[in-house]
Amino acid sequence: MEFNGDGCIDILSGSYSRQDQDMAGLFQVLWGNKDGTFRKPEVLKGTDGEPLIIQVGDGDDAMIEKICTRPTLVDLNGDGKLDIVSGNFRGTFAFFAGEGDGKFAPKSTWLQLADKPLSVSMHSDPFFVDWDADGDLDLLSGTAEGGVFLFENVGSAKAPKFIPPQTLLAAAGHGDAGEDEKFGDAHLVGPQSGTRIWVADVNGDGKLDLLVGDQVTLHHLADGVDAATAKAQLAKWREKQKKLFESQAANQTDEQQEQFQKAYEALEEERTKLVRDEMTGFVWLLLQK
Amino acid sequence: MLTTLTIASLGMFSPQGPQFAPPVRLQAAGKPIQVEAPGYAAPCWHDFDRDGKPDLVVGQFAGGKIKVYRGLADGKFAAGEWLLAEGKPAEVPGVW
Repeated sequence: MEFNGDGCIDILSGSYSRQDQDMAGLFQVLWGNKDGTFRKPEVLKGTDGEPLIIQVGDGDDAMIEKICTRPTLVDLNGDGKLDIVSGNFRGTFAFFAGEGDGKFAPKSTWLQLADKPLSVSMHSDPFFVDWDADGDLDLLSGTAEGGVFLFENVGSAKAPKFIPPQTLLAAAGHGDAGEDEKFGDAHLVGPQSGTRIWVADVNGDGKLDLLVGDQVTLHHLADGVDAATAKAQLAKWREKQKKLFESQAANQTDEQQEQFQKAYEALEEERTKLVRDEMTGFVWLLLQK
Repeated sequence: MLTTLTIASLGMFSPQGPQFAPPVRLQAAGKPIQVEAPGYAAPCWHDFDRDGKPDLVVGQFAGGKIKVYRGLADGKFAAGEWLLAEGKPAEVPGVW
């Protein structure tokens, strides 16, 4: 989206965290050039000249509110200037008021649901669109658990008011392979966890469709191992794993910790002879009927 | 506590209202569009090359890299190409 007034398309990204100071998911911009190319990412700063960072409280876990940022640009308060709404690890939504030409107020506030910060389970993923065609912007989000949720705006284009979410796509969850372990990717029929969404009329039928990115761990059979053998051996492997963890003493000596670590690594090595794990993600299209 | 309440409230709603066709895993050049480990594909629908056909731009966690899948006339996508910044694949810091 173009957002500094130079007519070139820019790219705004969140990040997990900076590493050189206290943890904070900085916003990074790839400013666009007139020839369609991009400059290297640079940290987006607020009007105070400091990196724009979600403002959090003093709680023990407050840090998770300012990492794993996922920003979107939107004129949410209807003043004609683009604002930033960012998701985070906790699952809340931070609002930075835009001041025009790619500048944003340094202080953030939280989008509200009744009198509490509006949230999803974790890893909030804001996308705004007038889903119900009533003239204001509604909020859709993916989550760490997966799924797509719609928070309808029953306020106005200048004063949004969101209501509890409607499930557009149920969360798949992170899953526990267990005895139902499946191999390869042929069994996948929809988005899994860690959903990241986009909304557009992809097929041009006048209805808004969902594009959903996800995260999934696939299990591939090791060379020369068939599915039946792998399942049987993995069941035995899980029993060994269970016994290993049960054998772990509460207050281990250094020597006991070392022995446990060796046994754990040997067990993991044993598993690689049956299956190879692949963490990945796909992009799914859900056309609205 | 807040997280627990949120999960409970999400579960109260049945998937009524908008209905969708079964999810389709998008492909490019005959293969599923797939990001590197650990995953977390983040799609964006935009006419990136301004040729009148929307393209699919997909961010990923690994390296903070972004791949562009150009939309073709038949509704399919060309093989992905890394988005470049100053001539090299762009890498957003802090996404690794």
